[in-house]
Amino acid sequence: MKTPSPVIRLQGMSKTYRMGEVRVHALIEASLAVAPGELLALTGPSGSGKSTLLNLAGLIDTPDAGRYLLDGRDVSQLDEHARTLLRRDAIGFIFQGFNLVPVMTVADNVDYPLFLAGVDAPMRKQRVAEILEKVGLSEQARRRPDALSGGQRQRVAVARALIKRPRLVIADEPTANLDSHTADQIITLIHDLCQVEGTACLVATHDERMTTRCDRIVSMRDGCILADGLDTPHVAHATAA
Amino acid sequence: MQWLKFAFLNTLRNRRRSVVTLTIAAMGTAAMLLAAGFAEFTYESLSESAARNAGHLIVARSEFVEKEEDVPMQYGIQNYAALRKTLLADAEVRYLLPHIQFSGLISNGDKSVVMMGTGIDPDSEFLVKGPFLKITAGGVLSSTRTGAPQVMLGEGLAKSLNAHPGSSLTLLASTSENSLNAVDVEVKGIFSTGIPDYDKRSIYTDIDTAQKVLLSDRISQVGIYLASMELSDTARPRIEKLAGNGFTVQNWQDKAFFYRSVRDLYNRIFGGLGGIIALIVLFVIGNAMSMAVIERTREIGTLRALGTAPAQLTRVFSMEGAILGGLGAVLGGASALLISIFLIFAGIQMPPAPGYSTGYPLQVAINPIIYLIVIALIVALSTLCAMLVSRRSARKPIVEALGHV
Ligand SMILES: Nc1ncnc2c1ncn2[C@@H]1O[C@H](COP(=O)(O)OP(=O)(O)OP(=O)(O)O)[C@@H](O)[C@H]1O
Ligand SMILES: [Mg+2]
Repeated sequence: MKTPSPVIRLQGMSKTYRMGEVRVHALIEASLAVAPGELLALTGPSGSGKSTLLNLAGLIDTPDAGRYLLDGRDVSQLDEHARTLLRRDAIGFIFQGFNLVPVMTVADNVDYPLFLAGVDAPMRKQRVAEILEKVGLSEQARRRPDALSGGQRQRVAVARALIKRPRLVIADEPTANLDSHTADQIITLIHDLCQVEGTACLVATHDERMTTRCDRIVSMRDGCILADGLDTPHVAHATAA
Repeated sequence: MQWLKFAFLNTLRNRRRSVVTLTIAAMGTAAMLLAAGFAEFTYESLSESAARNAGHLIVARSEFVEKEEDVPMQYGIQNYAALRKTLLADAEVRYLLPHIQFSGLISNGDKSVVMMGTGIDPDSEFLVKGPFLKITAGGVLSSTRTGAPQVMLGEGLAKSLNAHPGSSLTLLASTSENSLNAVDVEVKGIFSTGIPDYDKRSIYTDIDTAQKVLLSDRISQVGIYLASMELSDTARPRIEKLAGNGFTVQNWQDKAFFYRSVRDLYNRIFGGLGGIIALIVLFVIGNAMSMAVIERTREIGTLRALGTAPAQLTRVFSMEGAILGGLGAVLGGASALLISIFLIFAGIQMPPAPGYSTGYPLQVAINPIIYLIVIALIVALSTLCAMLVSRRSARKPIVEALGHV
């Protein structure tokens, strides 16, 4: 069986933080690839470098070394403007704290990425309605985020991340603020939506239960990628990157 | 979701802060407009009174303007009748105000007092002066008098001579032939200009009487009263041409020393005040905006992660500044307008200015151009201010902004 070429491929990515005299090697020569539609969970103890890796993959931070191919294109040398455009068009974000815009309605929050991308209004309206339907929030479209429960808010965030049909979704601890039942629903939702759209998804999590919903698990420690979950099928191709 | 709508919604996040900011912007704008309107009203009143005293344009022989006369009327205008005809040919000329300036003594037989006389043409002079000359007793001079020559006395002068309408007095002056001449006159009326120093010395008489006293057939200068103040500058070259060689035409401003000094003073006072108010408004808006920026740092990070460009975020903040400043400025403009209209009807009197005996009504001019300029200025400065305070945060590293609590 031939696997499709990965959406992202990180090669020897390193990141070091400086705090005065102290240097923290947050990420050390990490290599990783994620296939279309694949939900990859990054696990590891606190401080192991999960967020650092996600920030680099999400193009909101710059590595000190390494190569980053997004859809086969080397994006490690792009300037801030080009990275902004790439994030706008190809990357969706889901945050631990939901990070919705409180003054916008649910529909406007979800609509924002399309508005940014310059999609015309009728099309946006249709897509917003569609995705709200998918995340089960059609009824809540005109409400403000603060009128919603945590689980509902995170659904809005999932809809916002996926509405533009990105190539990659970055989710840093998306379920840490939710109870386990809701967390389960959210991760299932992310998993299903990504699979349907063929979106690669990188999730950092502490949550053991969550990882059961993932296609593959990669654990980290002290800035290094330790091992892939050995019993997941894509492993061989992905780590060969 | 348009940027402007987003900006507007953002101003509603912290309503109390927005209301305070907006109110201060409104008060600042109103204060600036009222101060400017007060100054403007004062300038208008003073320029009106200056123009009604001397005319919008003043024609005199060039020597009269440039040199001192050795004897009275030495550089006076010789053939006023001809000049009058020439000047009246201009369509914008409404009235001519021929003046003879002379000085001497005025006596009631027991007491003689120094006086400054002005010979005038009663017909045009009092029409033009209208409400700007207060008659406190008797009447104004007439061009069709029969009998003894007449004068009008300033209030203070009449008091010091114990003169009343009907009193007989004697005018004494040195003549154009360098001799002394006396003419008996009758008091026709008493006036007040509101300036005691002036009313203590000045008299009006008709041109004929003045010429009789001075033994001259000349006049000192002729003022031209135009249809409106604004015409002065454009009319001047035409009048210069009409008057021809040997004459100098001055603008009313050239002679209105009081107007100019008040204007200089007020411009400085109110200009400085306006600057301070603008600074306060800016400071308040800048402060509100920088608080908003700090509070929303994490949101800035989120929106940047979603692919929003820093310039787009700065634009939203600028719009917020513009909305706060703009609404404030418009509200302030509306309040200033209401207050100005109220003052027209309220009839509040200001105490007399230094050197004046009577107060004046407190009014402020309503000048649409000044309103536009002030409002535009406040909006522009608020926008700029919001842009400056948000620029740095909009460019903050995204990870850092997202980590902000
Ligand atoms: N801005 C920073 N400045 C200095 N050190 C940092 C910074 N960000 C992260 N680090 C350090 O880098 C290392 C990796 O951090 P990272 O946030 O990637 O870990 P993590 O696996 O996401 O942890 P957690 O599970 O707690 O979120 C840690 O030692 C952390 O202290
Ligand atoms: Mg983390």
